[in-house]
Amino acid sequence: MARNEIISTENNLTRKDFRGVFWRSFTLLGSFNYERMQGLGFLYAIMPLLKKIYKDDDESLKKAMHRHLAAFNMTVAPSPFVMGTTIAMEEKAKKDKDFDPASINAIKVSLMGPLSGIGDTFFWGIFRILACSLAIGFASQGNPIAPFILLLVFNVPNFLTRWFGLSLGYREGQNLLFSMQRSGKMQLFTFCAGIVGAMSMGCMIAMWVSINCPMEFTIAGNAIVIQEYLDMLLPKLLPLAFTMGIFAAIKKNVKVTKIIGGIVIIGFVLGLLGIISM
Amino acid sequence: MTLLQAVLIGCVAALARLEGDWLGECKMREPIVTGFLVGLILGDLQTGLVVGAALQLMWMGATGIGPTAQLDIGTGGTIGAAVAIMTHTGSESAILFAVPVAVIMQFLDTLLLSSYSGLMLIADRKAEALDFKGVNRIHYLCGILTFLLYFSLTTLAMYFGNSTMEAIVKGIPDWANAGLHGVAALLPCLGFALLLNIIMEKKLIPYFVLGFIPAAFIGFDISMVGIAAIAISLAAIIYMVNSNTMKSVQAVPASSDNEWED
Repeated sequence: MARNEIISTENNLTRKDFRGVFWRSFTLLGSFNYERMQGLGFLYAIMPLLKKIYKDDDESLKKAMHRHLAAFNMTVAPSPFVMGTTIAMEEKAKKDKDFDPASINAIKVSLMGPLSGIGDTFFWGIFRILACSLAIGFASQGNPIAPFILLLVFNVPNFLTRWFGLSLGYREGQNLLFSMQRSGKMQLFTFCAGIVGAMSMGCMIAMWVSINCPMEFTIAGNAIVIQEYLDMLLPKLLPLAFTMGIFAAIKKNVKVTKIIGGIVIIGFVLGLLGIISM
Repeated sequence: MTLLQAVLIGCVAALARLEGDWLGECKMREPIVTGFLVGLILGDLQTGLVVGAALQLMWMGATGIGPTAQLDIGTGGTIGAAVAIMTHTGSESAILFAVPVAVIMQFLDTLLLSSYSGLMLIADRKAEALDFKGVNRIHYLCGILTFLLYFSLTTLAMYFGNSTMEAIVKGIPDWANAGLHGVAALLPCLGFALLLNIIMEKKLIPYFVLGFIPAAFIGFDISMVGIAAIAISLAAIIYMVNSNTMKSVQAVPASSDNEWED
């Protein structure tokens, strides 16, 4: 078997080239900034292939480089899918003079939203929490295996999504997109990913946010512990209430820095007065 | 603390930051990982892991999603674990240091990332000149600057701040400690609220309740894995049911299959 088989004969793109994109995709956030976000990182990842595709057309290469320096931002794990789709479209743009290169960025931008939504749900929401919660048990007993479990549980899906995302994006990206958009399955799929996300979020807030009310009163010789009454109403009421309060503030477009300031002040005062504790 | 130890801890803080940028967010910033590394460097692996677990629990909801990342748990966790081990005090003092450090470092990070916007103009010029190496160099330069900031601040704080930290840990009054625990209790809500902001829409509220109630009443006896399995099954059922109706709807002209659109 040839170790470096050719994937695209027209432009002599090889398996090794795609492996290069795969590894470079890990540095997508390397030059993150508030103007272009991951733009330069995206160009860095696919630049060697752009050079090959446009090797005899400097003017088009220049245009392609500017195209991919434009603002781009998404959850990093599924980003190689977009890179694969982009490479396929750049090849098409070179071959087919009627193909409007502007549609490349249009598709990139249209992929950012849905893929980030699904990616954040799975990687930040589910895989990270799963990896951390498994590792906490070992770490609290001082077992040195803990960090390795954490890294393994998170990174196996991370690597697989990147590798298969890249090849799927290159081979099927456009077809998949058009057929899913036409049949309305894209929305359905996003909604179903949302179901998994919403259920996991509910579960995680109940399990991993710990806010208690340690207040106690003695009325006529009877000790009254507020938390016991709260638990009778609904266990984990305080974590739910505070998270929903902050969520409402975000929805009202209050700046995150202001919210942090508010949390620091309110949290400090409530903690000081003994109204809340962990 | 020896100079070598301070330098190594500076490297851990820089690694915890750069994993996101250069290693594909592979989660080396999590307090269990940094606690483990700091424990190794300072020769107290047990304390490093236990403190890491405590900080991890506190920061379960600390997400770093793009520009809305709100806490630098990498540097916060590294310095928190180091202080806890050096002062022989444990998780309490780790939280005492980790929370303010995480907030301050995130602020500095915002300044750093804003300054990189200027470098993008140079990248534009390099692209115009087809200077591939030049484009690469801008990308690398951002990484080097980030490394230098995190490495130098952490190393200096560790090497020269030793006795100050000890004094703070010993001298902190109980009321300030209680206040800080209040902050530490509320902060995880922000991370989860930011995730909710991405995921939630009105139609998903019933599913949120379905996830919350069993976990709230049963607690850790029903694990995350259990609820995730139920959620995936439920999503699969909804997908199958709806893609079938979609097919039959498409057979009829003038379809009304925009049911899921906002």
